[in-house]
Amino acid sequence: MTLATDALAHIDALFHVARYLTGDDASAEDLVQETYSRALGAEARFARGTNLRAWLMRILRNAHIDQTRRDKRDVRAEVEADELPDERDEILGELARGDVERAMLDLSEDARLVVLLDLEGFSEAELADAMDCAPGTIKSRLSRARSALRKRLAAYARREP
Amino acid sequence: MKDEELDALLRERLPRYTAPAALRARVAQRHASRHDARRSRASNVGLALVVVAFVALVLLFGRRVGVDRDTQSPLVTEAVNDHMRVLYAERPLEIESGGIHQVKPWFEGRVDFAPIVPFDGDADFPLQGGSVAYYIDRKAAAFVYKRSLHVITLLVFPSRGLPWASDRVTAESRGFHAIVWRAGDLGYALVSDVAMGELESLERKLKPTR
Repeated sequence: MTLATDALAHIDALFHVARYLTGDDASAEDLVQETYSRALGAEARFARGTNLRAWLMRILRNAHIDQTRRDKRDVRAEVEADELPDERDEILGELARGDVERAMLDLSEDARLVVLLDLEGFSEAELADAMDCAPGTIKSRLSRARSALRKRLAAYARREP
Repeated sequence: MKDEELDALLRERLPRYTAPAALRARVAQRHASRHDARRSRASNVGLALVVVAFVALVLLFGRRVGVDRDTQSPLVTEAVNDHMRVLYAERPLEIESGGIHQVKPWFEGRVDFAPIVPFDGDADFPLQGGSVAYYIDRKAAAFVYKRSLHVITLLVFPSRGLPWASDRVTAESRGFHAIVWRAGDLGYALVSDVAMGELESLERKLKPTR
């Protein structure tokens, strides 16, 4: 099996994450294509035996950052969610499916990414690799992201009639 | 809300997106053309040198090469290869699941052993079906389960004559998690990109209670 063949096995996970980073199918497809293009171009730099999935996610994240800079899009701030009050847990049961997606999209891109990759089953070491940060900071980053998401979800639940 | 509850909520209600077939085809095509172009650039002289060097290395260090391969757990490598064949096959399932009692008899006459699989699938890990696979040098029964949208391959094969370092091996290889274990005359391999904890949860369901 070549690196390209191995890498192709992760296309669904990459597209899923790309879709939540970009917010639409066409941009997600562009981002995934760019990711594979960069990955193949940097094939020689990939150390066999290290984590391919985390390496691909890091490339995807970097490609998205570059794309965002080029487009001069606004990157949402994570702090807004911290200003929202906590809500009772049982209200969350009334959330509509679209609300959960919207709450996720309301997070900052890094917060969104760390929650999505955690859901994909990434270990802390893999998260640190993919997010290009020190392993020691991942736990607190994930905790902040989860907290922001909880508050967002509570805010959407409160709007339900 | 606890972390586990948040995870459950997200798994249940957060839409899961999968790569469109057209994107998959474009990426695969691009990889293939790049690979072909690179291969055509390699000169015959260069290839000959590589072959000569490889033969020399094998002759000089053949024994050592054999040992190194063993330490890379061929049981895991082959299980991941088989899982990827399932992912890429146009028709990964030769028998669609109507339950384990329909899938298991389908293997009669197709493999020369009786696969013992006590788990029928449930809401967490629905059984999708099965197919015949090849594991190293022998036929294997491949059962395909799902966890949300993730595919999980279970391979069952005769355990004799394989290089077992221990009765149970867990490993991460090329972004996939794998558990390979031996139970009497049969070997089992579970492979998927789900978290190792989830794979172990399926493993427990597959092991008959004593």
